[in-house]
Amino acid sequence: MSVIKIENLVRDYGNGKGVFDISFHVNKGEAFGFLGPNGAGKTTTIRHLMGFLKPQSGRCTIDGMDCWREREKVQARLGYIPGEISFFEDVSGAEFLKFIAEYRKIGTQNRKDELLARFELDTKGKIKRMSKGMKQKLGIVAAFMHDPDIIILDEPTSGLDPLMQNRFIDLISDEKKRGKTILMSSHIFEEVERTCGRIGIIQNGRMAAVDDADTLRRRHTRSYTVSLEDEASAEAFAADFGGTRTGLSVTVTTKQSLEEIFMNYYGGEKHDEHGAL
Amino acid sequence: MMNMALYKREMKGSIKQLIIFGAVITLYVSIIISMYDPELMKTLDGFAEAMPELMAAVGMRANAGTLLGFMVSYLYGFILLIFPMLFSILKGNALIAKYVDKGSMALLAAAPVKRRTIAFTQMKVLISGIVLLILYSTILEIICAESGFHGELDITALFVVNGGLLCLHLFIGGICFLSSCICSDTKYSVALGAGIPIFMYVLQMLANVGGDAEAAKYFTFFTLFDADGLVAGESKAIISVLILFTGASILYALGIMIFDRKDLHI
Repeated sequence: MSVIKIENLVRDYGNGKGVFDISFHVNKGEAFGFLGPNGAGKTTTIRHLMGFLKPQSGRCTIDGMDCWREREKVQARLGYIPGEISFFEDVSGAEFLKFIAEYRKIGTQNRKDELLARFELDTKGKIKRMSKGMKQKLGIVAAFMHDPDIIILDEPTSGLDPLMQNRFIDLISDEKKRGKTILMSSHIFEEVERTCGRIGIIQNGRMAAVDDADTLRRRHTRSYTVSLEDEASAEAFAADFGGTRTGLSVTVTTKQSLEEIFMNYYGGEKHDEHGAL
Repeated sequence: MMNMALYKREMKGSIKQLIIFGAVITLYVSIIISMYDPELMKTLDGFAEAMPELMAAVGMRANAGTLLGFMVSYLYGFILLIFPMLFSILKGNALIAKYVDKGSMALLAAAPVKRRTIAFTQMKVLISGIVLLILYSTILEIICAESGFHGELDITALFVVNGGLLCLHLFIGGICFLSSCICSDTKYSVALGAGIPIFMYVLQMLANVGGDAEAAKYFTFFTLFDADGLVAGESKAIISVLILFTGASILYALGIMIFDRKDLHI
C-alpha cells in the first residue's frame, strides 16, 4: 500500500528548471531514496509533498490526503528536515525545542531527551552560535521529537561528521524497523544505498529511474566471455580479472556498484548538456 | 484560530521595540504637555474672540486654546503618527515576510497548524503592539495633563481622538501586514509596507502647507484622521475614522487569505 504518492507532478519555473511529469510512490514501512544532482528538482518535489507549493498540474497525496488542500492534516503525521534549515537565531536550542513542542501541541511526553542523548547535543547555547552540524542535529531532533509515522528528509546528513552520519543512518534503520515510511533525498550516494530499499533517480526534473536497489544493480551488470589457448593461461586470466573458468573459456562479470550507476546518470546529464550546446 | 506558543514568542520579541517607542513617546509627550501655558492660551482665546478673522488667517482657532487643542496641534501631527507607524513597519515586515525570506517559515509551516492560524496569530501580534502603544500614550497623556494642569483636560474628547488614532494606526498596520503577506522577499515587503505609509504622510505634509498643494489631501488616507474634527465631535470626522477601521479589517483579511494560498519557496 502506498503512503506517499506523487502523480504526474508538474511545476515549470521556465528555462528548463522545475519538475516535469514526475510520478512515484513510497509504500508503507518502506525507505525510499530520492537521488539526484543539485538542482534536479528534489527539493521542489518535496515542497509539494509538504504543502508549501501548489502543483501546477498533477497531484501529491499522503495516506490519501491531498498535500495542498489538507496540508495541516498531513502535517500532523509528518516529520520533516528541510535541506537548508533556518532557525530562529535569537533563542537557545532548548528554548527552540520547547517552542516547537508547544507550537505542535505535542506535550512533554516526547522523544526529545532520547534523541538529544543519541546525538550528544548540548542545547544550552544560542542557535546563532551553533555550528552547522549542531544545527543539523537540532533539526533532526525537532523532526523526530513527535514520533511521526511518515518521515521526509531533504539531504539530512549534510553538515554531519562521519560518526554522526552513521548514528543518523542507525536512527533511520531503527525507524524503518518500527514501521515508519521514509522518503530521503540526497546527492550523497552512500547514505541512500545503506538505508533505502527502493531508489528513484531524478535528473533535470524528470524521473530517470525508479526501482529497488538490487534491480538497479542487476540491470547494470555486464559480462563477457573470453576463450584462451590453454588451461594455464585461462586460469591466470580468471585469477587476474576475477572471472569464472569453464574449460578454456573465462566469463568475467562486471558488477557496477550503485554509485557507478548513479554516476552514469550524472554523466549522461553532462553529456546531454554538451549536446545541447 | 490562534496559536498561543507563536503569540507568546512574538510578543516576547516585540517587547524591546515597544519599550524603545514607548520611551520616545514618553519623552515628547511629557515635554510638550509641560510647555502648555494656560495664561498664554487665555490671551490667545481673548484675541480670537475679539478678532476671529485675523486669528483664523494665522491658523489659530479658539479651541486651540484648550489643553487638548494644544495637544492635537503639537502631538497628533507628527509624534503620535510617526512612532507607532515605525513600529508597524518594522514589526509588520518581521511577522511574515522575514520568516519566508529567511526560510524559517518552514519550521512554522511544517506543523499541523493552518496557515490561516499562523497569519491570524501574527496579525494579533501586530494589533496587540499597536493597541499597547496607543493605550500607553493615552494613559501617559492623562497623567501628564492631570499632574501639570489638573482638571484642564477633556478626557472624554481625548478618548475619542485616541480611538480615531488607533483606527488610523490599525489601517497603517494593515498595509504593512498585507505587504508582508504578499511579498516573499523582505526587500519588497519593506518597500511596500514602509513606502506607502511614508509617501502618504509626505502628501499629508504637502496638503498642510496649503495653497494649490492642498488638493494632495484627497490622495492620502491621513486626511481621514481629522483630530480637530474628532475633538469637536463632527460626524464627518467619526465616519472617516470608521472608514479607516473598515479598511483595516479588509487589509488584514486579505493578507491572511493571500498567505493561505500562496506558494512558499522555503
